Amino acid sequence: MSQDVIKLLTEACLETLYMVGVSSVIASLAGIPLGVLLTITGRGHIKENLWLNQSVGSIVNAFRSTPFIILMVAIIPITRLLVGTSIGTTAAIVPLTITAIPFIARIIESSLKEVDGGVIEAAQSMGATPLEIIGKVLLPEAMPSIVLGLTLTVVNLIGHSAMAGALGGGGLGDLAIRYGYQRFRLDIMIATVVVLIIQVQLVQSIGDKLSARLNKNKL
Amino acid sequence: MIQLSSVVKTYESKAGTIEALRGIDLNVSAGEIYGIIGHSGAGKSTLIRCINMLERPTGGTVLVDGEDMGAMTEAELRKARQKISMIFQHFNLLTSRTVYDNVAFPLEIQGKSPEEIRTIVLPLLDLVGLGDRQDYYPSQLSGGQKQRVGIARALASQPKVLLCDEATSALDPQTTKSILALLRDINSRFNLTIVLITHEMQVIKEICDKVAVIEDGRIVEQGPVLEVFTKPQAKTTQDFISTIINRSLPPEWSETPPSPTPIAGADLLLRLSFIGQAADEPIIAGLIRRFNVDISILYGNIDHIKDTPYGTLLVSLTGDDNNIQEALRHLQERDLGIEVIGYVARRH
Repeated sequence: MSQDVIKLLTEACLETLYMVGVSSVIASLAGIPLGVLLTITGRGHIKENLWLNQSVGSIVNAFRSTPFIILMVAIIPITRLLVGTSIGTTAAIVPLTITAIPFIARIIESSLKEVDGGVIEAAQSMGATPLEIIGKVLLPEAMPSIVLGLTLTVVNLIGHSAMAGALGGGGLGDLAIRYGYQRFRLDIMIATVVVLIIQVQLVQSIGDKLSARLNKNKL
Repeated sequence: MIQLSSVVKTYESKAGTIEALRGIDLNVSAGEIYGIIGHSGAGKSTLIRCINMLERPTGGTVLVDGEDMGAMTEAELRKARQKISMIFQHFNLLTSRTVYDNVAFPLEIQGKSPEEIRTIVLPLLDLVGLGDRQDYYPSQLSGGQKQRVGIARALASQPKVLLCDEATSALDPQTTKSILALLRDINSRFNLTIVLITHEMQVIKEICDKVAVIEDGRIVEQGPVLEVFTKPQAKTTQDFISTIINRSLPPEWSETPPSPTPIAGADLLLRLSFIGQAADEPIIAGLIRRFNVDISILYGNIDHIKDTPYGTLLVSLTGDDNNIQEALRHLQERDLGIEVIGYVARRH
């Protein structure tokens, strides 16, 4: 493989990492609190509020049922407003983040719902505040499952970022479309796919290891 | 220490209104071990949760140490709960925390410093016999050890009251005995008031001072354990007692039930209960000598209720009808638990 191709691949790879990295962090910052909110306002939970729960739930569902490629086009005005342009890697971060937030919210919700109600009851019986129950019971107890869920999110975002690349977002997807597909460079196409597979494998195995280390249930 | 008056709890469900508690009156004095026994679904879980307001009663009042739990704000209630600890059937330990950190948990909530927490947690772990397990995770412990962690955690906030929610129901008999011994020990060591719910009569017999029998959301019988054991009134109570004390009649009597009224020339079947000192008196020998009756012992058993020896004897009196009646009167005048089972035709 020529020097040029390696340079192209490295650049594209870094762009993908940038898009996925930044959108994962921002989406987690918004998605985790949203997931906590969905959990504790649910039926029979520590701050039951079904009206709020269903309202937030339906907004989350609306975003989740919109296909990424449509969402990306639909929010172009918002993207322009936020980053000044709708083309390029930084611009791609906006739709990636917006699509990941409701996904993370649901993942967090399902992880937190697995926490044994008895443990929450025990904390309540000791006089813990709702914030203490969230911070000292729900999140730590669900952490192994949360880590697996976030790993899944990152893997999904790697896939979505390739799609964003097709619409001028940069990264590995952009490389595969422009060189591999439009210029019939099969070698670049294959190399791109291999790099994507390695990325996903790496993310998944790091996530699995971290989750296993945090899990004190199977010692 | 704890006063419940006409506590009612109803749930609304699709199937209609469910009355879990239908007017509970209960008084628990300081330093007492009070047992509440009932079958599953009788309402005992709801009852114990009404004491610390994990379940809010629909009606009635709950006083703990003179304070009305139902009238408190959320913040006041959290403060009050720090003095009412609870242990659970399934232990409910935090799986992500070590033994040490589990016991430290209630102290963290109270905002104690790490140094202060250390001086409280370490002696408690020694007290419950887990001094060498502080860095273990709950998944590495046996059921009995987990409950010991639960007890240490409950004691960490120096509570006035300990609520035990079926604390031994998930444990084997041997471990149950050791956990009950630990509860008795902390009861006398800290003069801690303990309220426990259970479906096992063994637990009541082993450690309780008083007992309440709950059925269908109502207390059907309550009183000192010795009294309830020797003179059970309600059917449920008798059923519970028969699970640990043989109260059944020999098979030949259970087929043709004894007559409750005297029959000429019949034997009298009696069940005698001896409590404490009375167990030492030569009652049977005295009866034979004074009233010229023959006594055969059909069944006998001596047991302990908490620390008091307690014996039951199933006997049949044979002899002249008048002598039998005099012997019965003599027995009834004495401070003995006597239950007339009935008169049965003499067998020869």
